[in-house]
Amino acid sequence: MKTKLIKIVGIAWTLLYAAFVVWLYVAAPRSVTDVATQASVAAGTYEVDRARFDAGRELFLREQYAAARGEWERADPARRDARTQFYVAYAFYREGWGRVYNDDALFRRGLEAADRAITLSTDAPLAVEDAELKIHSAAELKAELEKGLERTADDFNPLKVFRERK
Amino acid sequence: MTSSHPALTDTRTRNRALLRHVLLPTIFLTVALLGGVRVGAGGGAFVFVPPPLVTLVLAVLMLALFARGGALRVGRWLSADNGTAENVSHALTLGTLFFASAQAFNSVLPEAGLPRFVLASFFLWTLWQNQFSNFDPRRLLRSLAALFGTAFFVKHVLLASLFQPGEGWLSRLATAALEGVTLGTLSGPPYAASTGYISFFALALYVGGLALLPPAPDAETDEDEERAAELVRALSLLPARERLRVFETAGGDGVRHLAEGDAAPPADAEAVLLTEKEGRD
Repeated sequence: MKTKLIKIVGIAWTLLYAAFVVWLYVAAPRSVTDVATQASVAAGTYEVDRARFDAGRELFLREQYAAARGEWERADPARRDARTQFYVAYAFYREGWGRVYNDDALFRRGLEAADRAITLSTDAPLAVEDAELKIHSAAELKAELEKGLERTADDFNPLKVFRERK
Repeated sequence: MTSSHPALTDTRTRNRALLRHVLLPTIFLTVALLGGVRVGAGGGAFVFVPPPLVTLVLAVLMLALFARGGALRVGRWLSADNGTAENVSHALTLGTLFFASAQAFNSVLPEAGLPRFVLASFFLWTLWQNQFSNFDPRRLLRSLAALFGTAFFVKHVLLASLFQPGEGWLSRLATAALEGVTLGTLSGPPYAASTGYISFFALALYVGGLALLPPAPDAETDEDEERAAELVRALSLLPARERLRVFETAGGDGVRHLAEGDAAPPADAEAVLLTEKEGRD
């Protein structure tokens, strides 16, 4: 009877441990803290650090874009919150935007963040109600970033310097 | 004395079951986990490297070698005579052994370039050659420990010191001399020294797991029976007086039981007669 119990416990334990190993290789956490974050994502208990998010937004409004992104990175370490990723993309857009030319590297990273925001908001198109922003939807922000990365004859239009940053 | 036997057998059976169904899968899964773990040189970030195809091939060859060398009797691990739960548990244990083997190779194979190619070829050649050699399980285990030890030394001591940041003139010279020959990179991604420690622990655990792995689930019972038969044979060859001394050393109970006329092998009967004779004297 005892041996049978050991067999059943052994099977259950082996399957559980094997699932944990597979999960670790799929989630690929970069640190022990990341393991806890990924575990909370898997368990469905993951939440964005609201205070850090607000601190990031304050920095964003003061045009401290890199610092704002740092705060949002800490607020959403697993990059699982669509709204935070939208703001990250917006920070890349504003920092990369130039009256004469855009910073393609920053725009590309912004595009990645916008894609993440869109992917994460599968239920409904992501719309962010924020009076300080001129773009409110992730799709619109993505289009703006893609437009900024395109090479067209319009890039040589001198009147381009009068365009407005959103 | 006879009443303590079932308890002893129970404990032994329970421990063997724990080894086969819990401890061995845990050891092998831990090896499977740690074998692919690297620690980045910069920020110390974990990198999880899943087993590459070549390590899966090497693991297949390794299991084939275990089977050929008698270190693993698959037919007895997975048998129609076993119950369903036992077969499932054994299949899981063998599965974990396979992935542990693959990750053990992953742990000692260099990440890229010529060293990886050379070591992978060396492993393939050695395992293939060994398929046609006569091995007993102990020799096989020693041979594998040496194989992994060599690969570990090459990757985590030799190559790691050759390509560590702030390299010396020797490593610069070696890289410059061989760079043109390989037409590729000699060095792999930079990893922290702790990667070597993790790999060492994983390999030690793997070899330990192999040492604990019985060739067949009931191999220990066979061994006990063989040992008992050997003991009886050795006893029967002893002169009566020495045989008596053995019984006395083993415990008075055995002699008393025999004197009371319990069923005893012929060799023991002589000892009883001697005891009785000595008693009369």
